[in-house]
Amino acid sequence: MEAYLIAILIVTAIYVLLSLGLTLQYGLTGLINFGHVGFFCIGAYAAAILSTAGGMPIGVGLLAGMVLAGLAAIPIGLVALRLRDDYFAIVTLGFSETVRLVVTSEGWLTKGVQGIPGIPKLIDGVGTGPALTILALVGLANLLAVMAFLRIVKSPFGRMIEAIRDNEDAVKALGKDPARFKIQVLVLGAVLAGLSGGFYAHYIGYVSPDQFLPIVTFYVWMAIIMGGVGRISGALVGTLLLMGFLEGSRFLRDLLPFISAVEMASIRIGVVGLALILFTLYRPQGLMGDYTRRK
Amino acid sequence: MTIDRRTILQAGASALALGLAPQGALAQAEAFRIGALNPVTGAGSPYGSGMAAMILAAVEEVNAAGGAGGRQLQVFADDTQTNPQSAVLAAKKLIEVNKVNAILGTWSSGVSLAVIPLVNDANILLMHTSGAPALSVPPANAKGYGYRFQATNDRFGRAFAEIAVKEGYKRPATMAFNNASGIGNTQGFKKAWEAKGNQVVAEVVYEPNQPSYRAELQRVMAARPDVIVMGSFLPDTTIILREAFQTGANVKWIIPGWAANPQLVSALGNEPTEGIISVDSVSNEQAASFARYDEAYRRKMSQPGASNVYAAMTYDMVIALALAIEAAGPGAGTAQINAKIREVSNPGGEKVFTFADGKAALKAGRKINYEGASSVLDFDEFGDVTPDFGVFFITKGKLDRRYVVKI
Amino acid sequence: MAFWIELLISGVVAGLIIGLSALSITLVFGIARFPNAATGDTMTVGAYGALLGHRATNSLLVGGLTGAAAGALVGFLGYWFIFRKLAQRSNVALLVASIGLAFVLRAILGVSFGHSQQVFQLPLVRPWRIGGVPVHPNDLVLAAACAMILAIVFAILHLTPVGRRMRAVADDPALARVSGISPSGVMTVLWLLAGAVSASAGIVAGIKTVVSPEMGWDLLLPAFAAAIVGGIGSPVGAVAAGLLIGVVQELATPFVGFTYKIALSFLMMLVVLLVRPRGLFGKLEGAR
Repeated sequence: MEAYLIAILIVTAIYVLLSLGLTLQYGLTGLINFGHVGFFCIGAYAAAILSTAGGMPIGVGLLAGMVLAGLAAIPIGLVALRLRDDYFAIVTLGFSETVRLVVTSEGWLTKGVQGIPGIPKLIDGVGTGPALTILALVGLANLLAVMAFLRIVKSPFGRMIEAIRDNEDAVKALGKDPARFKIQVLVLGAVLAGLSGGFYAHYIGYVSPDQFLPIVTFYVWMAIIMGGVGRISGALVGTLLLMGFLEGSRFLRDLLPFISAVEMASIRIGVVGLALILFTLYRPQGLMGDYTRRK
Repeated sequence: MTIDRRTILQAGASALALGLAPQGALAQAEAFRIGALNPVTGAGSPYGSGMAAMILAAVEEVNAAGGAGGRQLQVFADDTQTNPQSAVLAAKKLIEVNKVNAILGTWSSGVSLAVIPLVNDANILLMHTSGAPALSVPPANAKGYGYRFQATNDRFGRAFAEIAVKEGYKRPATMAFNNASGIGNTQGFKKAWEAKGNQVVAEVVYEPNQPSYRAELQRVMAARPDVIVMGSFLPDTTIILREAFQTGANVKWIIPGWAANPQLVSALGNEPTEGIISVDSVSNEQAASFARYDEAYRRKMSQPGASNVYAAMTYDMVIALALAIEAAGPGAGTAQINAKIREVSNPGGEKVFTFADGKAALKAGRKINYEGASSVLDFDEFGDVTPDFGVFFITKGKLDRRYVVKI
Repeated sequence: MAFWIELLISGVVAGLIIGLSALSITLVFGIARFPNAATGDTMTVGAYGALLGHRATNSLLVGGLTGAAAGALVGFLGYWFIFRKLAQRSNVALLVASIGLAFVLRAILGVSFGHSQQVFQLPLVRPWRIGGVPVHPNDLVLAAACAMILAIVFAILHLTPVGRRMRAVADDPALARVSGISPSGVMTVLWLLAGAVSASAGIVAGIKTVVSPEMGWDLLLPAFAAAIVGGIGSPVGAVAAGLLIGVVQELATPFVGFTYKIALSFLMMLVVLLVRPRGLFGKLEGAR
């Protein structure tokens, strides 16, 4: 039983990194990133390719994933400067789909739709020992990310990006250029997503393009909206809720026997949609309250 | 499905109460636990519930005949959602919480590839219906615990090549759905076709969910093929064939059986589907095992058994596994049971078609050869079945089996 | 040469579907001022509605009307229960809520109709040949239907009082309110219209391909791209851009392959946003 719970915690910790990245981008800075799964995908595939075909040690793959994801964020950032929010959202969605198309097509690098099996685990071996070590590693990454996050929020940089979110014109009027900060934030968020992708690849052991569909981005959005946009506690609580929901739906059928199993997939997506609608309507600040003063 | 839900809760409670039992160690008369891990939701959902239901039906049959190796069988069911991440968590739950001794019925290649390292670590068997070639060999199948009850995509492709030769086609083109299975089929065809010294005149890989496939068809038809070999699924086959007909394309088709089925005919009508060659691994329809399976399927799912070839495979998984457990004797572990799987299914020995008959023959000391509902179940050295392929011609809206191809 | 003409025709037909859904997006974006991500799933609703109507009466016309009505209803309900209450909020809130609505619609369709494909049972006919190029009568009918829908939308926008009010709101909402134009009347017509238009796009797509719960979402991104390329708020732009994207995608296929042709719509959108953010015909500023 413990091993199963540890497994869930590991996947939760992986998603927390995604939520933290998105919180940095949207919660603190107001950038509507609908393409988060694209950075996740880059991180996962970098780790997968380098540790299998590339024969590199795991650390190299993880690092490469972070770097590549961060680099990919720069052109997105440059584009962001020129667009208003909702256009930016659509462009980022296009970005993540393009990443997926590239991964699908460039089979010489990514093995295309066959996917890459046999990705080595972070720690070898069976049983709860190694599993706990893996959890510790990912948990450590989470801790470091949270600490970095807190430092950012309290720093002049943090105040600046929140100012950009709240009133960009005022920032410009003061003579500061928001562009630089937006790009930095996008890169930081992407780096976190890239790391998360690397951990994911080494945990599931197999990557394929259809594990990186836009629905993953919207799961993360659901997590931060429910938990509370703009706060670390929001990212954590929201991710726990998300995982609880995703795994819990496995047991839900026992409680609701009149729902056929086939309908479960539709119901799951319906609940995600309903959560997005209801929270947007009635509790936009999420469960943990809201740092953003914008409506 | 209430039986196994209650069992899950019971098993969970007793696991908590008793603490961890050693992995793989099977106490005397303790039930043999089967993890039914099927695509109940997601892309495999047309087949998943039937697959799970047939595992249950076969288990009931085995238990009614007194169990296997002195043990009763117990089922814990879970849903892969046809998604590797979800399947890994589900497999972990089955292995760690429910302590299953074998996992049966994973369907998509991605799912099986993600789950097989877990069963290798846990020293239990995995029986699946996935097509990816990577599942036969190391590193995925390094321990030989993986058994494939469906012909590999590669084998399908080779069957296509044999058929193309037999029907006298000279200029085949291929169209493949852009996923592992679709491409596996057409690549298998190309390899076998070129090995005979021939050429494929055009190859196209197409993306799912497009509003039109006319450009793809145009590319293929520009090479003037006499037959198009498809690695496709029902929705895209419907669209492509309709467009081909409506643009006046005059060409023959060789299509896998899961795409060229009665639903395709009802979607398109008789004229566009006339003469399509539909290829599927032969269900052992003449065998008594198929009749038993069919009866059980109709009872549980209110549909003919032939509508879900994967459910026939999962039914066979349980029966073959149970016979191996019986042959291995009481108290046998995974390795011993594994050693008996080929012994009870491969040629050499008395043909049996039901668990009860097999068990009786084993008790009398005779060697048996279980002929299953999905195929005769002869496993090669990789654990893959080597089925024959039925070649069906769609004639006036009906699938008419003209001959069988052995490869 | 016939090869290219065939591709062109294929592109035009695909472009009509994209153009119709882009039309719905641009109407909403221009007047309600947010990108409606539920457009795709409204298309799917329309397709299923038409399917039911066609099955019941064997008349494609009735099916089309049923489907359009279903789409209009969904559009209105979405406005009434969700978007109306978010009117004062940022367009992120509206966008996120529209995604939520999209998912809910898809879930309802999935539970009601199952995930396997459904098809319109229409007689299949061989094509006419014009100068060696196969031209399909069904495509002509669909093109005519699209042209008619476009004409109806234009008529409403330019020839009716409510259409005039809609255009006023699109141009300058504050001034429109000051002038006494009540928003709820305008919005109701807008959402009914937008819903019906996306439903029509879905019906055309459903007839050409198959009907399944996922179909609308898959066509959403090219539709957004077309709305942006054509210029937000310009109905002509949306349809023209839709046709442009459809044609470019098909004609480029021999060069970029079947997988990357999908990315072309994003590329075009990106280029337009960076070079001419107004889009081809647009009035709304897409950039800062």
